[in-house]
Amino acid sequence: MTEARSTRVPAVVGTLSAALTVLAACGVFLVAPEDTDQGIIQKIFYFHVSIAIASLVAFALAGVAGALYLRTRDEKHDELSSAAVGVGLGLAVLVVLTGSIWARASWGTWWVWNDPRLVTFLIVLLLYGAYFMLRSSADGERRMRYSAIYAIAGFASVPLSFYSVRVAESFVHPVVFTQNGADMPGSMLVWYVVAQVAVLGIALTALLLQLSQRRAEKALMRIKLRLQAEP
Amino acid sequence: MDSGTAYVVAAHAVIVAALLLYVVAVALRTARLAREAELLARLVDEAQTRREAASAAEPVAAARVDA
Repeated sequence: MTEARSTRVPAVVGTLSAALTVLAACGVFLVAPEDTDQGIIQKIFYFHVSIAIASLVAFALAGVAGALYLRTRDEKHDELSSAAVGVGLGLAVLVVLTGSIWARASWGTWWVWNDPRLVTFLIVLLLYGAYFMLRSSADGERRMRYSAIYAIAGFASVPLSFYSVRVAESFVHPVVFTQNGADMPGSMLVWYVVAQVAVLGIALTALLLQLSQRRAEKALMRIKLRLQAEP
Repeated sequence: MDSGTAYVVAAHAVIVAALLLYVVAVALRTARLAREAELLARLVDEAQTRREAASAAEPVAAARVDA
């Protein structure tokens, strides 16, 4: 019963996310109005920001799972933490790529080194990239402990990226979500929300798939070891 | 197609390409797991056959000792 449910959940979440993604794409390109300032280029915003937020949520989850591992020493939390970092990192690479294309279209350059949002997000990306190097440099319990501590410490860089653009005085990166709410009309906001839910669903599906594959790998390894132990 | 539209298409093409790459990676990993599972199932079958053969031979050997 539990096994059946664990294989069904990624399928259900994945199907719903795919349907929502199609809906969001239709909404963004066919229904949402064009931005008066940026024109059609602003359409990149919907998925770019959704992916950025999903990556930060994945990093937050990795930090929480890391803390839970340190508290319980349960391997499941370590698996969740590393899978979340993997998903978050993949999404973060996408954010930089789509952001770079948007920058080229909007500012005429692929990258701006004096913008705090861009640079701090790149730092977050590199920090989490180093997570896997650290993970491959140790074994057993030490590897899980170091990874957990790194996932928690790495998460400290996330608020730095989030607030940098709000604290810094000079920047070119726009701030859409302020303390007064979203700086966009409701007809755009609704499609952003749909895109955000869709991307979070895709990230969750990827996470569940990674976890179930790791579980399968571990189960196969257990069988292999038992077979080797037999006379 | 004007340059603005081209950039929008490029950004979304990157997202779709990344998703497709991920699907391919998951498919490859799943195929590897399936191959390993098949191999292990064969090894388990062989071990089971060996055990059955050994247990079938044992009473005969014991009977010879009794005689």
